This record gives sequence, structure tokens and C-alpha cells, in this order.
Amino acid sequence: MTAGPAAAILLAPMALSELRSLLGDAAATADALLAEVRADRSRLPVVFPGLPRRLGREPVRGGRRTLGGALVDLDAFRRCDVAAAWLLGALGAAGDEVTGLYAHGDIDERAMALRSLHFLPVGQATVALFGEVQRTNVVLHLEAAVCDGDLFVRTLGQPGFDQPTANRLLLKLAFLDLPLARVFGAERTANGELSRMLRDLATEREAAGRSVWRDTNRLLGRAPCPGAIARLIGGLEHGDDGVRLAAAEGLLALGRNDLAPFAKERLNREPRADVQALLQRFAGG
Amino acid sequence: MLIFEPHIHMFSRITDDYERMALAGVRAVLEPAFWLGQPRTHVGTFVDYFDTLVGWERFRAQQFGIHHFCTMGLNPREANDDRVNADVLALLPRYLEKDGVLGVGEIGLDDQTATEERFLAAQLELAKKHGLPALIHTPHRDKKRGFERCIAIVKESSLPMERVLLDHGNEETIKLTRDLGCWSGFSIYPHTKMDPARMVAIATEHGVERMIINSAADWGVSDPMMVPRTAVKLEQAGVSRARIEQLVWKNPIAFFAQSGRLTEAMLQQPARANLRETFDGNSVLRGQDPDKV
Repeated sequence: MTAGPAAAILLAPMALSELRSLLGDAAATADALLAEVRADRSRLPVVFPGLPRRLGREPVRGGRRTLGGALVDLDAFRRCDVAAAWLLGALGAAGDEVTGLYAHGDIDERAMALRSLHFLPVGQATVALFGEVQRTNVVLHLEAAVCDGDLFVRTLGQPGFDQPTANRLLLKLAFLDLPLARVFGAERTANGELSRMLRDLATEREAAGRSVWRDTNRLLGRAPCPGAIARLIGGLEHGDDGVRLAAAEGLLALGRNDLAPFAKERLNREPRADVQALLQRFAGG
Repeated sequence: MLIFEPHIHMFSRITDDYERMALAGVRAVLEPAFWLGQPRTHVGTFVDYFDTLVGWERFRAQQFGIHHFCTMGLNPREANDDRVNADVLALLPRYLEKDGVLGVGEIGLDDQTATEERFLAAQLELAKKHGLPALIHTPHRDKKRGFERCIAIVKESSLPMERVLLDHGNEETIKLTRDLGCWSGFSIYPHTKMDPARMVAIATEHGVERMIINSAADWGVSDPMMVPRTAVKLEQAGVSRARIEQLVWKNPIAFFAQSGRLTEAMLQQPARANLRETFDGNSVLRGQDPDKV
């Protein structure tokens, strides 16, 4: 893993205050831990692993919320994750401190370090740890880093995280069957090369008699590659409700009026109301 | 019957061992940091070893449904090595705060040198500071005197006796430890240390209160099945199932629960295994189909 530069991760005072308020009655404990580390910076790697025990593992709750410029689903974040972000932000931790906590953490500590990234300014530590998540293939860590927030799209374009690199991370999402909707805004990054990669993965999976990532059709519709239209039309006939829904969404995104007859033909046989609604919109257009 | 194997060095064992242990009822293992058979020459190798205990080894155990915990410490043999001893001591606090680390260990005495005694005392202080129990290795040579020195150093430290496990005991040492309030550990080996028959005799004579048995299996001639084997021998000898369960399940949980990081409820289900998942890009499958393993 490449450690980030020693530049401090600075959070705006307003964001720090919001994070602290999410800690509820654990805020005083967090203050004490911050003071301990401020007095002796070498205590950070000692304090960090104990955050779940001391601050709690319960979800902070609050649903989708914009916080310090980040869109997150607070239901997916635990109090210790927020405390980790608050602590690192308040300390102005350097990128290599964050990557170091990840490198020497156990599986849960690593997830905590990754979730804290959502609340911290995007930087080289984010890119380095996205690289680790891509390499290591741990579902919990992929979820922690890219799901339940818009960190993925905010990181896109940073040095070291270009579109091809981002495509590989989304392909990993498909490989591990995590829903695209949990990566906020990721559908906007659809591109032809990603569609080709997803199409090829789908073909391999089908040849092996295995299931295909449902969101494949959503992305194929937004950025079609050769073979995409056949998959979308075929998807309307799939026995899995989720695949049909994604195919209908994909066709709507594709916006090809000449394909509307396929939607009309399917409409009368479609049992699901949400799929019907999409087909109606497409056929009507 | 469920079994908590409270002292085993899985770092040195193969996946067949995990599979056999799981089949025999082993639900959880505790792996003390220890001596790898060859001296380490710089602290970085300890960092990697400690990271393996909380990382890859925990993952490997999970793949067989076994919960993996560990204790962290500077083993007595390498406590004598000035190339690493002070630096390892400085390294320990960050590991002693990790959730899966249930104690300081294995620490103790080997050659019974003054340096070993200094590092034992220093690590007992760490146990106090981090609110953890201590797993103490006792010497294989001049054992009785070694036990006496360990007990004296523990008393000087003022670490509560109930948070101390004096391991690798035998018929002689049980007489020293029985009334101290500490826990007595017995390592059951195929040919050396204790064997199942001797353990049956000890349990029959002294009962099983504050008593723990383990295989201490490692890279040497040893057997990870020694706890289940001993449980069978105890049952054949007429020891009640309740007492056997206390010895191989309740007692080790009670001892390590003093860390505040372990409860019996955490072990009600097997560890979550997901053969499709990897750790640091690595799996135990060696290319095999996860659906067929």
C-alpha cells in the first residue's frame, strides 16, 4: 500500500461540530480520548482500536444526510465510525496516519478506518485505501469504503483514481453482488468501457450457470456497448423481478423510441406494478 | 459438547487441523503470541506476526466456523534478546486494545534469567493498565522453582490472582497454585508434558475449579485434538458431563471474559464463514470451487 503524503486532513469546524453532535452521550468520552491523543500523538494507534468498545457500535441513524459536503446514509454508520472520523478530523491527521491505522487494524478496525473516509476531505489516503479495497476483496471493506455514501463519485478524478480505476472498482461491486444504489451517484459514471466489462462478466456468469448482477442492465442502458440492446430487451422476459426492473430502467435511460414496441408487447404480461410503470413511461414516450 | 481451546498456535498448523477441531466441537480457539522456533532479529517481524494473529489467522479460523482470539506478548525466550525485547514491549499497547485480544501472553519465564523477570514484570503492568488477564508460560526446566518465581513476581505486581493463568502445570505445580486464587493451566501433549490419563487423575483429585486444559499445539510434535481426547477420557473415567463442560468450555470463557471482550453469548453460533471472501486478496481455497468445499 502506498501511504499518502504527510499533509494534514483538515475538516471545517462546522463539519467537526456536526460529527460530534452525532455522538450523543458519548461525546464527552470522545473529548477525553481526543485530549489524550493531543497530549501524546503516539497514543492514536492505541486509542483507535478501542473506539467501538468505548463509543459504541450502534448505528447513529438519521437516514440520508449531507454532512460536511458528503452525502451519507447515517443508518449505515456506527457511532464508533463517526467518532473515528471526528477524532481524525479534529487531530488534522496525516494521510499516512490513516493508512497506518488501516494497515495494522483487524478486519473491523479496517472497516472503521474506511467508513471514516466518508466524512474526511478526499485525498491520497482515500485513493490509497480504495486501492487496498480493490486488491483485498473483503466484502465488508468494499461496503465500508464505497457504499452508503457518495465518496466514490467525490473521489473520481483524483490523481490515481481515474475512470478506468473506478470502473474496476464498480466491476468488483458487481462481482460481489452489492447493489449499485448503495454507491450514491455511481450510475452517473456509466461509460461504454464499464458496460463492456459488465457485459463480459454477465456472459461468463451465464456460461457457468450462475446469476448475473441485477444492476448490469441499469448501466448498460445509460452507456450502451455492443450487445447491450439485446440484453435489455431479453431482460424484460427474465424470471427475476429485479432483473426486469433494471432492464426497464435501462431501456428508459437508453431512450430509443424505436424499441418502444418491445415495452408495449411486454406490458400486458408484466405482473409487477413498478416494472409496469416504467414500461408505460417508455412505451408512452 | 462445545470446546474452547484456550492455548494453541494455529499459525503453525494446517487447515486439516481446523477442520478436525470443528468436527470435534471446538467452537473457539485462543492463540497466544509465542516463540516461532527461531529467533527474530528485528521488531518488524513481530509487527507482521502480531498483524497475522489478528488478521489472516482469524480469517482462516472463520472459514471453518471457529472463532479465533489471541493474547499478545513478548515470549520469555525472546525476552532475553536485546535486539528485540524493548521495541516489542513498546509495540504492545496498540495491540492490547484490539477487540479480539483477550489478554497479555504468553509471557513468563523460560531460562529464569533476570532479564526475563524484568520483562515479565513489565508485561504484568501492561495487563493491569489495559484491564486484561495474563497467560503465563512456566519453564519446562526446573519447573517447580519457575512456578515459585512466577508466583512471586505476580504477587509483586499486584495484578489480581484471578486474572492470572499459570500454564503448563503438572501434578507438582497444582499443589502450589490450587489455593492461590489464580487459574491453573495444563498442556496435554502426545508424549511430553501432561497426557490425558494424568489429567484425569489430577481432575479427579483436585476438581476442575479454576482449571484449564489445552493442547498448546504448535510447530512441534503436538496434537490439536488433545482437548477433545482428554474430554473423552474424563467421561470414560466417570467424570460428569457438567464438570467436563466446565473444564473445556465454561472455565476458559470465564477466565478470558475478564478482558471485558468475550461473552459466552458471542460463541453461541459458529464463526461466520464465507468461502467466497478473501483476506488481503488471499483465500484458503487454493483455487478450489467454494461451492464444492
